[in-house]
Amino acid sequence: MAVAMAGGAKFKGTQMREKQLNEMIEKKVKEATEVCGGDEKSAECKVAWDEVEEISQAKADFRLKLQKEDPLESFCQEHPETDECRLYDN
Amino acid sequence: MAICTVYTTQLNPTCSSISKPSKSHLGFHQRQVVLYKRNSTNTYRPRSSGFSRPSYSIITCAADQTVVIGLAADSGCGKSTFMRRLTSVFGGAAEPPRGGNPDSNTLISDTTTVICLDDYHSLDRTGRKEKGVTALDPRANNFDLMYEQVKTIKEGVAVEKPIYNHVTGLLDPPELIKPPKILVIEGLHPMYDERVRDLLDFSIYLDISNEVKFAWKIQRDMAERGHSLESIKASIEARKPDFDAYIDPQKQYADAVIEVLPTQLIPDDNEGKVLRVKLIMKEGVQYFSPVYLFDEGSTISWIPCGRKLTCSYPGIKFTYGPDSYYGHEVSVLEMDGQFDRLDELIYVESHLSNISTKFYGEVTQQMLKHSDFPGSNNGTGLFQTIIGLKIRDLYEQIVASRSQTPVEAKA
Repeated sequence: MAVAMAGGAKFKGTQMREKQLNEMIEKKVKEATEVCGGDEKSAECKVAWDEVEEISQAKADFRLKLQKEDPLESFCQEHPETDECRLYDN
Repeated sequence: MAICTVYTTQLNPTCSSISKPSKSHLGFHQRQVVLYKRNSTNTYRPRSSGFSRPSYSIITCAADQTVVIGLAADSGCGKSTFMRRLTSVFGGAAEPPRGGNPDSNTLISDTTTVICLDDYHSLDRTGRKEKGVTALDPRANNFDLMYEQVKTIKEGVAVEKPIYNHVTGLLDPPELIKPPKILVIEGLHPMYDERVRDLLDFSIYLDISNEVKFAWKIQRDMAERGHSLESIKASIEARKPDFDAYIDPQKQYADAVIEVLPTQLIPDDNEGKVLRVKLIMKEGVQYFSPVYLFDEGSTISWIPCGRKLTCSYPGIKFTYGPDSYYGHEVSVLEMDGQFDRLDELIYVESHLSNISTKFYGEVTQQMLKHSDFPGSNNGTGLFQTIIGLKIRDLYEQIVASRSQTPVEAKA
């Protein structure tokens, strides 16, 4: 059990979060490229790339957290019945 | 601090017996507040104790005031390597608060609480999009709230701090932050607002050069589907104007700047793997004595590799000397190159002075403890560790000075 815990998604909620972050990066990079195609110096352009940065950093933080334990570990101890806390079978 | 003087002359020893700090099991310091009020008939009715001198003040015992450190960094919050090294020096690992919002940015250890300043965003992601401002823009941040809450925590009172959720881009319900011994506020704008700056006992700015930033972000993002060299580059460039306008100018206020540049030891190196790191330390900062090499105040150039120490390519080069930085006198210690072996590290440590270690080899020990952290073989890890020890030293000096009678402390 201890081996399974370290380094990886254990709960469904975490697996879904990973998927969500990956999709957001793709989506936001695409958006930013489109928005800036019009005017690179516009406020919309810099906001769009700032969002990409925010999500990219969030993904990196998530990856780092995951190396130690599932980020939902302590939440799921309190709420094991929730959908997010279903065990994720790799 | 004027308030401190008032209570000093009127209450003196009684203060320490009334307002004794109570430690919760987590080691937080909470201060009891004693209020004395003067009523309309010119006699007073104290809330507690039979004290006979009229006054109106909120009394706090200076000995337990939280020490506040500011860290300006553009690398997200709380999980940064610097934070992990810093909290490790004080003992224990900093963890997210148990049982709270899993998306909290806060880290808590026995002695230290690290707050992410993104929690003070006044505009969430949608709001910023509507107004056309990035997170770097001061208009996206509530400095009034930041100031009030940091001040309140510093005075020993817990606060309900908002949580900014970096995944959803929304502001989540607040979490309770109890006053720790050491509060670190980390983020883009710890030194932007003058009132917040004045609350900081020590401040650090992490200054990453463009080339190194690019190399690091490539390492961070290239594995992500959706990213390419172009998108990584475009993101950095689009954020640069706001970064230069709002974040970079904070450098001048920092007590210590860690500047990370590409190496000069390898001609035309563009991999960004070998780093040249400068530790720029302001002179004249209370409780902070800059690190030096060999002879304080002189200019030194030092290559430790030679007869006593064999290094592999590209080796290690140190320089040290006085300089001027945005109009301030500073001392600059610089390391270019990489550590390959343990004995290189201990050799270097033994030649540095004013590193505030408690025993010989403490820097090396701390670096080894976290050898898996990025920067463990170069100046970033070395200087972050040393700054951590200097902050520990600063904290102990502050506590020692405050536990003497307040009159003496004021002098």
